Amino acid sequence: MTPAGWLAAYLGAVVAVGFVHSPAALAALFACALAAAGRPRWRLLRRALVAVLAFNLAVSAGYAAVALWRGDFAADYLLLVNLRVLLLVFLGFWFVARVNVLAAFAFSPTLTLLATLAVVQAQHFARLARDFRLAFVSRNPAPARLADRARHASAQAATLLDKSVAGAAETALAMRSRGGFDD
Amino acid sequence: MHIPDGFLSPQTYLPAYALAAGAWAWAARGLRARLDEELVPRLAAMTALAYGLGLVMVPVPGGTSGHALGVAMLALLFGPRLAFLAYSLVLVLQSLLFGAGGITALPVNALAMGLAGAFAAVAVHRALRGINETAAVALAAWVSVVVSAALVALVLGAQPLVAQRADGTPLFFPFGFSIVLPAVLLPHLAIGVGEALLTVAVWRFARRRRWRAAA
Repeated sequence: MTPAGWLAAYLGAVVAVGFVHSPAALAALFACALAAAGRPRWRLLRRALVAVLAFNLAVSAGYAAVALWRGDFAADYLLLVNLRVLLLVFLGFWFVARVNVLAAFAFSPTLTLLATLAVVQAQHFARLARDFRLAFVSRNPAPARLADRARHASAQAATLLDKSVAGAAETALAMRSRGGFDD
Repeated sequence: MHIPDGFLSPQTYLPAYALAAGAWAWAARGLRARLDEELVPRLAAMTALAYGLGLVMVPVPGGTSGHALGVAMLALLFGPRLAFLAYSLVLVLQSLLFGAGGITALPVNALAMGLAGAFAAVAVHRALRGINETAAVALAAWVSVVVSAALVALVLGAQPLVAQRADGTPLFFPFGFSIVLPAVLLPHLAIGVGEALLTVAVWRFARRRRWRAAA
């Protein structure tokens, strides 16, 4: 299937899941999705569980507390909402695992350009932040004072932004030389 | 303050997609003409910063999350149209790569944070910049966070009214306005202070490097 086909299938599945209000049917759909996802299914399931855990725990615990206090607790609601969220997030991760996300923006060259630059910049930020942290740790055999940490964070933030803009400028020039700004 | 996937009913997110599609088309009009080698790297760097900020989030008991946005920073530097497009892109990437937010919640998140937040920031900044520039930037950022949080809370709080079983059991988000409004708004009053400090720092950074502000 083409990336556009995968995108259409993913979006159709997402909308369809919103209209299913039976926990048993959602569980069956989730089992089908797990079976169809192939070998990476357990890795995708673990990622989906980690992604939804904090929010679903907060909502589920809040709902349980309020509903028990009111006396209208419904266990099947908890099952329904948790299964639906887990299935939707699993479908999203499965889609991303099968299709290059940037290819999903292929309908708009401008969006592709911005998305490429933003993703590259995000990776650039993460790498620079790790390098700065390791350098700071290596220069401080004893734990640094709060004031030193604040000065370091301030200098690091300005340098990160400068480096990021310079990196993005280089990428933009490279993309221009390859026709990235041409209509 | 992302709304996660699965908590909004199709009766909410399908009309929201129609509304957001119109807003995206309006924001993208003439976009290519505005993007040049000077603007694109700055926009990319600030978009990446907003992307990173949005990933540092804590769950809020009312059912959403608390985090800095970076929308005011984008809106004041690049204008509300580019800020809306850039933040929508941030939301898509966060949703697909990290499961933060979601495709069903995308239009509501984009309209509340990317569009309303950006316009609120620009409006406050324009109203107050003649009095004190730093205070105007800080207040613009704080108001953008609070306005966005209020809209997100209103949409979430409406869900038990929009979709429920015959016996009153909710089908999507379970809490009404009386719970979700304070649960979402109160933490964001404090998060807005952090957002204001961050936006002032980035604003000063941009001024030192003689970036031309849009707002």
